[in-house]
Amino acid sequence: MKTVIIVAPFVAELITMAFRPIETRRIVRMGLATLAALLPLLLLGRVSALSMLFAFLVCGLSWCATLFSTGIYSFDWGVGEAVWSRKSVYFVLLGTFWSAMLLVVLSSTFAMMWLGISMTTLATTFLVGFSGERDSLEAAWKYLVLCSVGIGIALLGVLAWLQASPQNPALTIAAVALMIVGFATKAGLVPMHAWLPDAHSKAPAPISALLSGVLISCSLYAILRVVGAAEAAGDGAFARSLLLVLGTLSTSVAGILMLVQSDIKRLLAYSTVEHAGLVALALGFGGTLGIFAALFHLLNHALAKSGAFLSAGMVQRGAGPRLLLPAMAALCGLPPFGLLISELLIVAAGVAAHQWFALGVAVTGMILAFIALVRTAVENASARRTAAQTATKLPRRSLAATGAVLAAALVVALAPWIGGASLLSSLAEGIIKAR
Amino acid sequence: MIVDAVVLLAGAALMLFGRSWAVVCAYVVLAGLATFVSLPASTSLLAGALLMLSAVLKLVIAPLGVWFFVRANPEARDLRPSVGIPLRLLAVIVFALAARHAGAIPPLGAYVVLCALGMLVVQRSLIAHILGLLALGAGVSISASELGPGLPESIELGATFDVLVVTFIGLAIARAFIVHNPLLDVESLRRLRG
Repeated sequence: MKTVIIVAPFVAELITMAFRPIETRRIVRMGLATLAALLPLLLLGRVSALSMLFAFLVCGLSWCATLFSTGIYSFDWGVGEAVWSRKSVYFVLLGTFWSAMLLVVLSSTFAMMWLGISMTTLATTFLVGFSGERDSLEAAWKYLVLCSVGIGIALLGVLAWLQASPQNPALTIAAVALMIVGFATKAGLVPMHAWLPDAHSKAPAPISALLSGVLISCSLYAILRVVGAAEAAGDGAFARSLLLVLGTLSTSVAGILMLVQSDIKRLLAYSTVEHAGLVALALGFGGTLGIFAALFHLLNHALAKSGAFLSAGMVQRGAGPRLLLPAMAALCGLPPFGLLISELLIVAAGVAAHQWFALGVAVTGMILAFIALVRTAVENASARRTAAQTATKLPRRSLAATGAVLAAALVVALAPWIGGASLLSSLAEGIIKAR
Repeated sequence: MIVDAVVLLAGAALMLFGRSWAVVCAYVVLAGLATFVSLPASTSLLAGALLMLSAVLKLVIAPLGVWFFVRANPEARDLRPSVGIPLRLLAVIVFALAARHAGAIPPLGAYVVLCALGMLVVQRSLIAHILGLLALGAGVSISASELGPGLPESIELGATFDVLVVTFIGLAIARAFIVHNPLLDVESLRRLRG
């Protein structure tokens, strides 16, 4: 059953290719994508609640990315002549990416999780370099090489974990360190982040949304699982210390670099590094509150950032810059969006853990990021639409996908008041009790 | 003892040689050795078959792909080391000493992994990056066999497939990149900054 659900998105895209008239293909594609997105419901009660939560996140955002992609016109697909710069290849790779992410969140062993993470790199390298232009190829190359190195290191960690035993504590610590560093490379944590701003800024908008919203979340999910296993093995303090270092570096470096960005997608990419750093810090602070904050922040960030990248894609497509404002409001954490609340929860977790230095750096990073985002939002709010932008007819499906993601961000923000808090609390306690 | 010496020499070759064919040969030696030391762990017929498939992919298909690419693009023959041989030799010695004292991580695998990562840093050709990733995979396989019964067969095959796909994706992107960067020099990958 699980295997069918994991391969469904990939198979759906292969089936779609058999349909010729473009309108029929579009209907079949969305029908099968909807089916693939709903299939994880069959696993309710059969896999852990944490896996289900992330499976819904993967399926929801991947479905929206597919819908968004069907709305974009052919001339938006780049100028490259490479074989991968074709729309049908794009959708097959998108389906593969979706399947690989499902494998990450639904797998029960580190080895299978590693396989899923490595498959995401293979599926997305061509998507990052989709346009075939020089800068896209450069971004794809950096993405392939750096992430493959990270994946290799993570595999070494998985191997060490398979052989670790209570009689050999040094091997357990080495395994935890290697897995965290390896998966942190995919999560874009500093100093392994060099691929992220290039890949996110040069990929097509729906792919940037998935990379930032889902792939980073899947990688942080893998780190969360490693932390849980380390706690169970008695090495939780070491794992938390390592995450505090990576989180502190990420929030500070990304906060500073956000201030000097002029390209909107690059600014959003550095914002992703900052938020990944905040999640790492929350995991490093530990305790039920820290893990609760990390999970809540992951969900809020995944939806807000995906909405922001999709909105940026609409602006690149010719929409007026004000279309970015709702997503920027979500990213700034303005009410009713939930990022500010999850950031305050992370601060509270830091206070509870008495990690004052890391907390100080995190708050400084948050303030710098807030300034950079507000400045960009103000620039976009004051920008007037050009005649060309006014005349541009925006694809309705892409607009609907962007709206759906931002609406989901609102729902998640309200979740703690409608029963979501108890779910996240029980998930956090489950990870803590694994100790 | 012989295995140790072969790994030491092949790992050093990754760092010291500046020609593609020499590094491909060093990689084949390392990957072959990793397969050879994994053989006793393959108890069932299925495990043996998967190991053989993995060996064919690693030892034949991946090197052939690189060889065809280098033959079609003569510029890729030179790996363009960015530092001289004395410094690279010093790095190899440091890697060997570091791996010897790596603690929990097996020394031979750690040495090959370090040499592969070093190769990614000191060689400027894009082909060197692909060969470095291949060597990294070989280092992980050697670590696996040193640590215990090796990787589970399905993961071994998955890892091999991963390395193979990375190789061919890398070659495809390098092929597309030649138009903009005929020398395939990593120095030209600096347009996206900040």
